[in-house]
Amino acid sequence: MKPLAPLSLTALMTISSSAFATQYLTVEQAQQSIFPDANHFAPLPLQLNVEQMKQVEKIAGLPARSVAWRTIAAYKDNALLGYMVLDDVIGKFELISYAVGLLPDATVKQVEILTYRESHGFEIRNANWRRQFVGKTANAGLMVGEGIANISGATLSCTHVTDGVRRIAAIAQVTLKK
Amino acid sequence: MKKNVLVLSLCTAMIAAAFTTPAHADEAALLQRIEKLAAELEAMKAELAANKQKTENVAKTQQQLSTTVAENTAAISTAAAKSDASASAVAMAQTGSVSGPQTVISSYGEINYTRPRQANNQAQTDVARAVIGLTHRFDEKTKMVAEFEWEHAVTSKDDQGESEVEQLYVEHEIREGLSAKAGLFLMPVGLLNSNHEPTAYYGVHRNFVETAIIPSTWREAGFGLTGTHDNGLTWDLGLTTGFDINKWDGTSTDGSQSPLGSIHQEGQLAKSRDLSMHAAVNWRGVPGLLVGASVFTGKAGHGTTDGVANDSRVTLWDMHARYNPGKLDLSALYTRGTMTGVTALNQTLVGQITPVPSSFYGWYVQSAYQVWKTDRYSLTPFVRYERFNTAQSYTDMPQGLGLTPAVDQKVSTFGANFRIGEGVVLKADYQKFQQDSSLDRYNLGVGYAF
Amino acid sequence: MVYFLCRQKTSCALFKTMNLFRFATANRRVTHPQFHRQFLTRVAMAASVSLLSACGGSGASSNAGSATGVDTGMSAAAQVGQKIFADVTLSASGKMSCATCHDPANAHAQTNTLSVQLGGANLDVPGTRAVPSLRYLDKTPAFAFGDDGKPVGGFTRDGKAPNLAVQAETPFMAAHEMANNGRADVVAKLQKASYVNEFKQAFGADIFSNTDTAFERALFALQQYQLEDTEFHPYDSKYDRFLAGKATLSDSELRGLALFNNPTKGNCIACHISTKGKDGSAPLFTDFTFDNLGVPRNTLIPATANADNFDMGVCGPDRADLAKRTEFCGAFKVPTLRNVATRKVFFHNGKFNNLRDVVSFYVRRDTNPEEWFPLAVDGSVLKFNDLPAAFASNVNVKEVPYNRQPGMAAALTANEVNDVVSFLSTLTDGYKP
Repeated sequence: MKPLAPLSLTALMTISSSAFATQYLTVEQAQQSIFPDANHFAPLPLQLNVEQMKQVEKIAGLPARSVAWRTIAAYKDNALLGYMVLDDVIGKFELISYAVGLLPDATVKQVEILTYRESHGFEIRNANWRRQFVGKTANAGLMVGEGIANISGATLSCTHVTDGVRRIAAIAQVTLKK
Repeated sequence: MKKNVLVLSLCTAMIAAAFTTPAHADEAALLQRIEKLAAELEAMKAELAANKQKTENVAKTQQQLSTTVAENTAAISTAAAKSDASASAVAMAQTGSVSGPQTVISSYGEINYTRPRQANNQAQTDVARAVIGLTHRFDEKTKMVAEFEWEHAVTSKDDQGESEVEQLYVEHEIREGLSAKAGLFLMPVGLLNSNHEPTAYYGVHRNFVETAIIPSTWREAGFGLTGTHDNGLTWDLGLTTGFDINKWDGTSTDGSQSPLGSIHQEGQLAKSRDLSMHAAVNWRGVPGLLVGASVFTGKAGHGTTDGVANDSRVTLWDMHARYNPGKLDLSALYTRGTMTGVTALNQTLVGQITPVPSSFYGWYVQSAYQVWKTDRYSLTPFVRYERFNTAQSYTDMPQGLGLTPAVDQKVSTFGANFRIGEGVVLKADYQKFQQDSSLDRYNLGVGYAF
Repeated sequence: MVYFLCRQKTSCALFKTMNLFRFATANRRVTHPQFHRQFLTRVAMAASVSLLSACGGSGASSNAGSATGVDTGMSAAAQVGQKIFADVTLSASGKMSCATCHDPANAHAQTNTLSVQLGGANLDVPGTRAVPSLRYLDKTPAFAFGDDGKPVGGFTRDGKAPNLAVQAETPFMAAHEMANNGRADVVAKLQKASYVNEFKQAFGADIFSNTDTAFERALFALQQYQLEDTEFHPYDSKYDRFLAGKATLSDSELRGLALFNNPTKGNCIACHISTKGKDGSAPLFTDFTFDNLGVPRNTLIPATANADNFDMGVCGPDRADLAKRTEFCGAFKVPTLRNVATRKVFFHNGKFNNLRDVVSFYVRRDTNPEEWFPLAVDGSVLKFNDLPAAFASNVNVKEVPYNRQPGMAAALTANEVNDVVSFLSTLTDGYKP
C-alpha cells in the first residue's frame, strides 16, 4: 500500500475529531454524554436486509429509508452498555444531525442534537424537550402529538426529528435487541 | 460472501484498533496503521455514499434494496485492494452531507371559497395566495431567504391581484445562539405573522385579530438580531422602517378594516426619516408550551413638508401563549396599538368617514383537538372566539364634532382542519359575526406548504 | 428653465437680484394698465417685497407660494404673456384685455355683479356665461372620457379647449368679448404694442413673418403666464395653513368642513376634493369631472329671451363636437371652490349672486323646488327650466345631497348652511393671520 499524502492524513484527523464550526456536539462528545460510564466505543456497521426493513416499517409506521446505519456500540470493559445511532434529517430547509442513544433492550436512553441550522426551532436542543424521548420504544409515545410535544413555530423540524428517533428505535428493536 | 465477512471483520478490528490503540512513536508501525485506516476509510466512504443516496429518496422498491446491498458488498470488497485512499474526497462527501442542500425552494398556497350565509349572490372563490420561497445557504454561517407572493391570482392595471416581495433578507450567525439579519423580514409579533402558512393555522381565513390589528403578513426593512438560549428563551431586537401616517385616507374604509394595514410601507419606496424599533421575547422552556410578548414602536410623520402629523407615533404590543402538548392545541393572544400625535390630523379629516383612531386592540382564544389520526391523515376540529376593535378610541375634537369609537367586533369560528400528509390541508369552517349577522359565512379551503 | 432653477434656494438670491429691475417695471396688481402713474410706488413695493419674500416656497411643493405674488424667474414667454394678458389694445374696443374680466385683484374673475359681461367693439354685446376664475387651472388635465365613460378635464365650462393656449384664442375673436377680426388683426395690434421687442426677443426677431406662428406664440405666452406665475395658484389660504397645522379653524368653519366632508350631509367632497393627494399635493376642490345640477334659467341673460335657446354645456351648442352625446346635455365642469367666497355670481349662468343661496340651492333644490324655479300657471313647479324637457332626466338626482323629495327635510339646516359658507370663506387666497 502506498503511503498516504499528508493532506489525506489531515482530512483523516478531521473526520475523527469532527471539528465543524457550527456543530454543537461532536460524535465523541455525543457518545460520551449518552454513555458516561463507557470506556470504549466500537463502530458497528449496521446493515438491514429486506425482511428487517419491512419489519421496521411496520413498527415505526415509516419507511426504513436506509440500508446502512452508522452505529457505535458502547462498552464498559466487556459489558455492552448500549448503542448510539447517528442520523441526519431535513428540518424545514436545513439538515439536522442527531444521535439516538439506545439501551440493549432497544429503549431510548437519550437523544442529542449535533448540528442545527434552521432559523426556528432551536428548542429541539433543550434538555426538556429531548427528555420526552427517554425510556420509550418505537411501539408507543414517540410521535408528535402522542407522547412528544410540538414546538410552536417549528412543527416540521420536531416532527422530522421525532420520526427519525422512532425509526431508529424500531431498527434497534428489529436488529439490535438482545 | 466469505470474503465479505473476512473484510468486514478486518475493518471492524482496524477501526477498533484505530480508536483504542495509542499512537506509536515508530514510523513504520505508524505507516502500517495509516494504511489500515485508509482501508477503513474506503469502507466508510462507500457507506456514506449509500447513506446519502438513501436520504434523498423516499420511496423504495425491493429491487432497489437488493441492488444497494450488492453495491455495498462490492464496494467493501474492493476497498481492501485499493491502495490510494482519496481521503479528501471523503472529507468533502462528509461536508456535503452534513451541511445539507445549498438552495432550497419552498412554497405555500391557499385557495378559498366563501359563501355568506344570507347572500348567495356574494359567494366567492379566490386563489388567495401563491407563494414561492427561496433559501440559499452561502456557507455554514450565512444564508439568504426570499419569499415572493401573488394574491388573488391575476395582477394587472385592471385586476385586483397583487404581487409582492414578502421577505428578502440575509442572515448571518455571529456565534452560537446569536444571529443577525438585514433586509426585508417578518416582524416577530404574535403567533401568526412568522408562522402564516395555511398548514400552520386553523380556519380558512387568517384570524381577524392578526390581520386587522396585527397587520399580517407584516414585514419591514432593516436590521434584526436574534438570540437563542438553552433554557428555551428566544429574543429578537430590530431597527427597521415603520408606518407612514401620510398614507391615511379618510375617505376610504381601509383604515377602519385595518388601521396599520392601511398605512404600512412594506419596503416599497419606504419613507425612512423615522425608523421604528421592535423587541420580542419568546419562551419555550416547557415542551409544548410557548409564551411570549413583543413591542413595536416608531414615529410615522417622516418630517413631511407642511405635514400636520410629523410628531405622530405608532406603537403596537402583544402577548401570546400556545399550549400544544399532544392532541390538544390551545392558543391565546392579546394585542393593542396606539397612534399618538394625530389630533391636528383628525381635525383636517373632520367629517370624513374614517378618522385616525388613537387606539385599537384585539384578543382571541382558540382551542383545537386532534380527534382522529392515521399515518397519513388527521382531523382536528377547532373553535375560536375573537374580539377586536379597530377604532377603540379617538382624539378629542371640538364641541359638536366628537368622534364616536367603534363597537367591539365579536367573531366566533367553528371548523376543522383535515391534514393530508405533511404538507396539505383541507379546511372548512363557519364564522358567526355577532355585530352584523349579514356577514356570517361558510368557508372552505385547500392549502399546502413545503 | 429660469423659473425652475429658482426653486432651489441657492440659486434664488442670484435670480432675485437679476430680476429686481425687471419686476420693478412689472405690470402687476392693476385693474387697468396705467403703470406710469403707479410706477414709483410699485418699484418701492417690488424692491422691498422681493427682498423679504421666500423663494418659491418649499422646493418641489407649490403649497406655500410667495406672500405677495412677486415672482422671480418666469420664462421669457411667461413674462410676455403677462403683458399680453393686461393689454387692452388687443381688442376691437381698445378697452378690453383678459385682465378686464379676469381681474388679478379678485381671484382672476370679475369684480362687477353682472351675470354676463359686455364686450364687442362698443362694450355692449352681452355674453352667455359667467366669468370663471382663472386660478388653479394648472393641474387640469385635457378633456377625455374616463374609465366609467364620463367626461373628465378640459378647459372652459364645457371642457371644449384641451389646454390654456387653445382656450385663449376664443376670447380674442368672440363677438361678445374682444371681437377682433381674426388672427391677422390681433397680430397687427401686437406689432404695435409697447412690449413688441420683448415678444421678438422671446420668440425670434422674424416671428412676425408668419401670422399664424406669431398668433400661436401669443397664445403660448398667455398659457405660460398662467402656468408659471404663482399668483394663479398661491395656495396661501387659511385652509392651506390649517392643513399644514399652522392655523386653526373657528368652530363654525370646522363644523362647515365636517359637513362639507360628510358623505351623508353635504357630501361636497364627492366632487370638490378637500383632501391632499396621495403625493401630498394640496387639494384643488375639484375632481375635473362634470355635473348636471339643473340650475334655474337666468332670465337676466339676454339670450334666454328666446325660449328655444338652451346652453347645455358638454353637448353644446357652444361646444360642437359632442352634440350627439345627449346624455351629457346640461353637464358643466366642476370648478375649483378656491376663492369661491370672492365670486360675485355663481354657476355657469350667473344665476345666483351670493354663496349662501348657492349652498342652500344644493340642499333645498329637491325638497323645496318652489324656492328656486318659476311656477307654471297651474301652480306646478317648472323644475330644471334651463334644459329642454327631454333632457331634464339628465339632472343629477342620485347623489347626496340632491337625492331627496319634496316634504323631506333638507340635508343641511339653515345653521349648517351658514357653517358651510363660513368654511368656504377659508378657501380664499392671501390669508393673513
